Amino acid sequence: MVNFSDNSRLNSHISRTFNRELEDLRNAVLVMGGEIEVQFQDALEALLHHDVKLAEKVMLNDVKINAMEVEIDQECLRILATRNPTASDLRLVITVSKMVIELERMGDEIEKIAQFVNSAEFVYSDQLKLGITHMAQDVQTILRDTFNAFARQDLKTTMNIFAQERKVDEKYNELRLQLEQEIQQHVEHIHYWLDVNTLIRSFERIADRCINLCEYLVYLAGGKDLRHNSDKKIQKKIQALLKS
Amino acid sequence: MVKLFKSTRPALKKLGAEEIAVEISELSVYYGKKIVLDNISMVIPKHRITSLIGQSGCGKTTLISSMNRMNDLNKNHRCTGSVIIDGQNIHNKKVNVAKLRTQVGMVFQTPNPFPMSIYDNVAFGLRLQKEIPRRQLDEAVERALKSAVLWDEVKDQLFASAAILSGGQQQRLMIARALALKPKILLLDEPTSALDPLATLHIEELMQSLKKTTTIVMITHNMQQAARLSDYTAFFHQGELVEYADSDKLFTQPKHKQTEDYITGRYG
Repeated sequence: MVNFSDNSRLNSHISRTFNRELEDLRNAVLVMGGEIEVQFQDALEALLHHDVKLAEKVMLNDVKINAMEVEIDQECLRILATRNPTASDLRLVITVSKMVIELERMGDEIEKIAQFVNSAEFVYSDQLKLGITHMAQDVQTILRDTFNAFARQDLKTTMNIFAQERKVDEKYNELRLQLEQEIQQHVEHIHYWLDVNTLIRSFERIADRCINLCEYLVYLAGGKDLRHNSDKKIQKKIQALLKS
Repeated sequence: MVKLFKSTRPALKKLGAEEIAVEISELSVYYGKKIVLDNISMVIPKHRITSLIGQSGCGKTTLISSMNRMNDLNKNHRCTGSVIIDGQNIHNKKVNVAKLRTQVGMVFQTPNPFPMSIYDNVAFGLRLQKEIPRRQLDEAVERALKSAVLWDEVKDQLFASAAILSGGQQQRLMIARALALKPKILLLDEPTSALDPLATLHIEELMQSLKKTTTIVMITHNMQQAARLSDYTAFFHQGELVEYADSDKLFTQPKHKQTEDYITGRYG
């Protein structure tokens, strides 16, 4: 199994320039991931404390995330064109190119959360508010675990993330039911409820994108494609990789 | 805005005078009545690797031969325009050609060691230049072999025949022979075409370290090599310079259709 976090692996090419390029690429994704984590933390704080100023900052910062996506993707293109990478190097470049798309879209979802803060103040019930807060915190844990797993090439953690994400899905469905009840009771706030629906959807989508990142991570580590696989198959493939 | 990747390569148009090793202006070269290079104007950046690519017969070898006047050996040869190195047009009749060739070294496609020892091969050019005390010669040979990353492999057999070396080692010996004269510019005519992939990567790595002190101009038919190794690439077609740009740019977004067709293998 290729250890992506192992610098000695990245540093083992005869060409030192190529070593450096791959290492820089890997570090760039980690920088972008760090930026996403900060954005999420700020957006959550803005949501919980209705901090409009902080929400505005999050929205402005999304430009930075977009620029990072373009820059990293261009670097991937350059490396593909000039280095003709193969095997684990090729998987690294392709994976990074796909990961930055996911990261950029996570950035968009975080921006939507910030937009919600900017546009409305909570009028929903304490129960719904509490449910959203819990879901958001679970998503934050998934997000942090995903980036840690990526930095440390920790496949064991990815298995936990798959399980955590299923719980987020369950919470999302519960929140949708609660939201339906609120709508029935206060139908006059329908525009507001639509925004709340978008908000909880954004949290759920961020968790989904973490799963996509984990799938890419497993592909990078051992070349196993987990896309569109059942939970059982995913667990089996990761177990096989861990044993190899 | 965060800048994730740092490029230290200046755009060709933004090169300052001190960053230019060779300035070629309106250079045309003829063999008899045939025009081989047609009005070429370009600059070769200092301490960079510049690759020349193009089909056989497009004028690449003629161009690098114009940089150390190897073309003079062909009696049918005639040229117009200028090639300026260190502020001097090297095609000027007053230029000392022997001295020029010590400053602008050349390594050919096939390693051609002289039938003598490894030591003598490296010392050959130095001995031609002037009489040098033995100790100084030893030091110069060692320095050149170290620069060519060959010293560790041959230090115990310096007086063995160069013919015992492998192809990759012989090619590094040729580079050491050129480096012994401390050239400012090194011209390489398909330096790795006769080598296996690993030996090729070793030579490429050597070139990357050499460029800190030497300007390198390389001809290659291996597009991948030009892409991964060179800072700048020039594409020639039938004696004309079609496109010359930063290698990253040329291999990802060539401006000319001819370049695109050539690098993507669509040339019919």
